[in-house]
Amino acid sequence: MLTYSPGETIVHRLDPRSKLCFQLGFAIAAFGSPTIPRLFGLFAVGFAVVWLAGFTVRRALRAYWFVLLVLALGPLIAAVTIGSPWLRLDPALASLRSVTRIVPIILVSAAYIHATPIRDTRAAVQRTVPGKAGQLLGVGVALTFRYVPVLREDLRQIQEAISVRGGDSRSVRDRAGRIATLSLARAIGRSDQLAVALQARCFAWNPTLPRLSFSRMDYLVVLCSVLLAVTVLLPLETLVLFP
Amino acid sequence: MITVRNLTHSFGEAVVLDDISLQIEDGEWVVLAGPNGSGKTTLVRQFNALLEPDEGTVLVNGRDAHEEPVAARTSVGMVFQSPRDQFVAATVGADVAFGPENLGLSHEEIDRRVEESLAAVNMGGRADERIDELSGGEQARVAIAGALAMEPDHLVLDEPFTGLDWPARRSLLDALDERDAAGTSIVVVTHDLRDLFERADRIVGIADGSISFDCPPERAREKLPDIDVRNPD
Repeated sequence: MLTYSPGETIVHRLDPRSKLCFQLGFAIAAFGSPTIPRLFGLFAVGFAVVWLAGFTVRRALRAYWFVLLVLALGPLIAAVTIGSPWLRLDPALASLRSVTRIVPIILVSAAYIHATPIRDTRAAVQRTVPGKAGQLLGVGVALTFRYVPVLREDLRQIQEAISVRGGDSRSVRDRAGRIATLSLARAIGRSDQLAVALQARCFAWNPTLPRLSFSRMDYLVVLCSVLLAVTVLLPLETLVLFP
Repeated sequence: MITVRNLTHSFGEAVVLDDISLQIEDGEWVVLAGPNGSGKTTLVRQFNALLEPDEGTVLVNGRDAHEEPVAARTSVGMVFQSPRDQFVAATVGADVAFGPENLGLSHEEIDRRVEESLAAVNMGGRADERIDELSGGEQARVAIAGALAMEPDHLVLDEPFTGLDWPARRSLLDALDERDAAGTSIVVVTHDLRDLFERADRIVGIADGSISFDCPPERAREKLPDIDVRNPD
């Protein structure tokens, strides 16, 4: 499951603000024109970031399998036409190029989650966005990062509980209904437990946040982020590498 | 000191606590024993203002818990029945630091409290480990460390031995003995009294929302069957 794992990699040691900045620059670069050379470049950077974070592409893709499944439907839907010829290749290829650029963004975000403690993310958000908005955003991000894996684990347990008692033989509709109802009940229960736990431990909107500090490497990462973002403006296809 | 005066609490029409009065002295080790549904958890959740009573008062060190909940929650460390319900961070150190961070303490003070709390439960040097990769016993000890980091005067543990094997139970009892020796009062909510008779100063039996008995352990043995709690072998 995709959650923070302690480590000593270069990505673990970076300040969360520079990592967030890199994600932003990378996302801007990805949402430029989805040409083939640009896609190759994005994938190369995505793979490199995952490797530098001590993570694996396989685990990142497994963590986001549902998103990838939804993305894969895009080209299929784009290919279908209402009436003859029923299927057209060109729109499917255009859609494929569009959705493909999401994959390296997913890789970079997976590397971020793997290499960044949740409370550091909260600290980065609250120090970057001032006032109540930053506090709300910081707490929201921290709770989401903390509880999505817990809820996914609950979902897995529900699926297993249904399977071990022969529930696989029931109709998809029946199983989907049970999973949805039980997942909702568990999620409500979890949020109740969370509220009590936060109360018991004196939850504060503006606590002492962890120390954050920029190193030389962080400045380099911020510079790379800016360069990545401005590549949107560059016609990469005209460069020697991509004639 | 925790003082409960004429406490009544209901959920809907069901009266869970009925006119309960109780006092827990500083440094005391008290066991709240009773069958499932007797109101034990509801009672201890009043100690740090997680529930509001219908009637009566709870004083923690002489201050009304519901008027000053932060003071009560700082003085009464609560360890939930399932440690998983208590964790709000992914790693040991981050979770133990959560409470002190909320108190707005300095980084140095937070670091000191985290280090000392983890050392107190024999988890020193493991701050960077992931909580979900720990055993049940280790998770229970991290939950206690999270409560200890608030430097409470009183430690309340709700069914702390549920699901623990003998080594984990032993390790948890050792950690509690250390807190007892340090002068922290300990309140254990349980229906499993093994290993607690020789430690407890008093055993308070609760049944149907009322206190059935409040006496030293040796006298409690004959009374436990009356409230459907098994005597330890």
